[in-house]
Amino acid sequence: MRVLLVDDEADLASALAERLDMRGIAADWVDSGQEAMERVAESRYDLAVLDLRMPKIGGLELKARMQALYPHMKFIFLTGYGSEKDFETVACESGEKCYLVKPVEIEDLIRLMRELTKNRGGSQ
Amino acid sequence: MNAGPNRVGQSGLTYFGRTTASISHELKNALAIIKENAGLLDDYLLMADKGMPLDAARFRTVTGRIADQITRADGIIKNLNRFAHSVDEPIKAIDLNETAGLLDVLSQREAAMRQVTLQVCPAGAATPVTTAPYLLLTLLGRCLSLCLQHMGSGKTLTVKVTKGPDGGRIEFEGLDAAALAAAGDFPGENESALLNAVGAECHLDGTHGCMSITLSNR
Repeated sequence: MRVLLVDDEADLASALAERLDMRGIAADWVDSGQEAMERVAESRYDLAVLDLRMPKIGGLELKARMQALYPHMKFIFLTGYGSEKDFETVACESGEKCYLVKPVEIEDLIRLMRELTKNRGGSQ
Repeated sequence: MNAGPNRVGQSGLTYFGRTTASISHELKNALAIIKENAGLLDDYLLMADKGMPLDAARFRTVTGRIADQITRADGIIKNLNRFAHSVDEPIKAIDLNETAGLLDVLSQREAAMRQVTLQVCPAGAATPVTTAPYLLLTLLGRCLSLCLQHMGSGKTLTVKVTKGPDGGRIEFEGLDAAALAAAGDFPGENESALLNAVGAECHLDGTHGCMSITLSNR
């Protein structure tokens, strides 16, 4: 499984990527939506973990752009919203139910990643 | 200073909710970074337990990130505390420089999300006015949001405090004609009620791309 983490909090994305790498999941990270679009054009990713609120291109818009170009990709949203109820309201706009509220448990994140990509055979 | 208490009260509550939501979002981010980097340190120690050498420089980098985020979170909480205490007295003498400073720290995230650089230029001297401090902050917050909403990314919004002979003025500079046109019906009913409540006047200056709030002690 190859994963791209996108969060404008670079110290979060980089630590998370390193921890995923240690657990056998190849993870790259970037801190903006623009960089994320460049990365997915260069390399094939199975899944992107997107911060919901980022300057310029937010997670929902980024997902729509990536999905249009790379329909095989799966997505997980992370958010710093105060409550899951708040987040569900926003996430439902995209019909996306795959989200975690910060701070996340890395085991929960990995479990969700595996669930989303479990039927993807060769990409795992 | 007593018009439209319900409209004013609702505006105040809306600003309170929006601001505390933004602050809680920032705090969550700081906590998430602390948690992930603490987890990373734990991972390093687990690897060291298995015989892998511990990289001291790497370890120090990660502890530095944690320390930075604790400082950040402490600053956020201090600002939240200042914001909370702005409702302590309904009417009091304040320094507009301090109000603009508080507006600055409370609004940086909103500006960053809009890709706008926010800068505050205080007056060279204390600029005291007697007003309703929280309602003034609410009014200035609405002005600032309106500017951010219409001015477009990559620009700079300057909040400038000027001391007057008997009061002071806060100007929002850096707007263009399109932004001012979009703000055409400003101040609306809610803002007019706030202006009345704090004893201020609002002026839009298309020539200089500026919105100003003037407060008098008279």
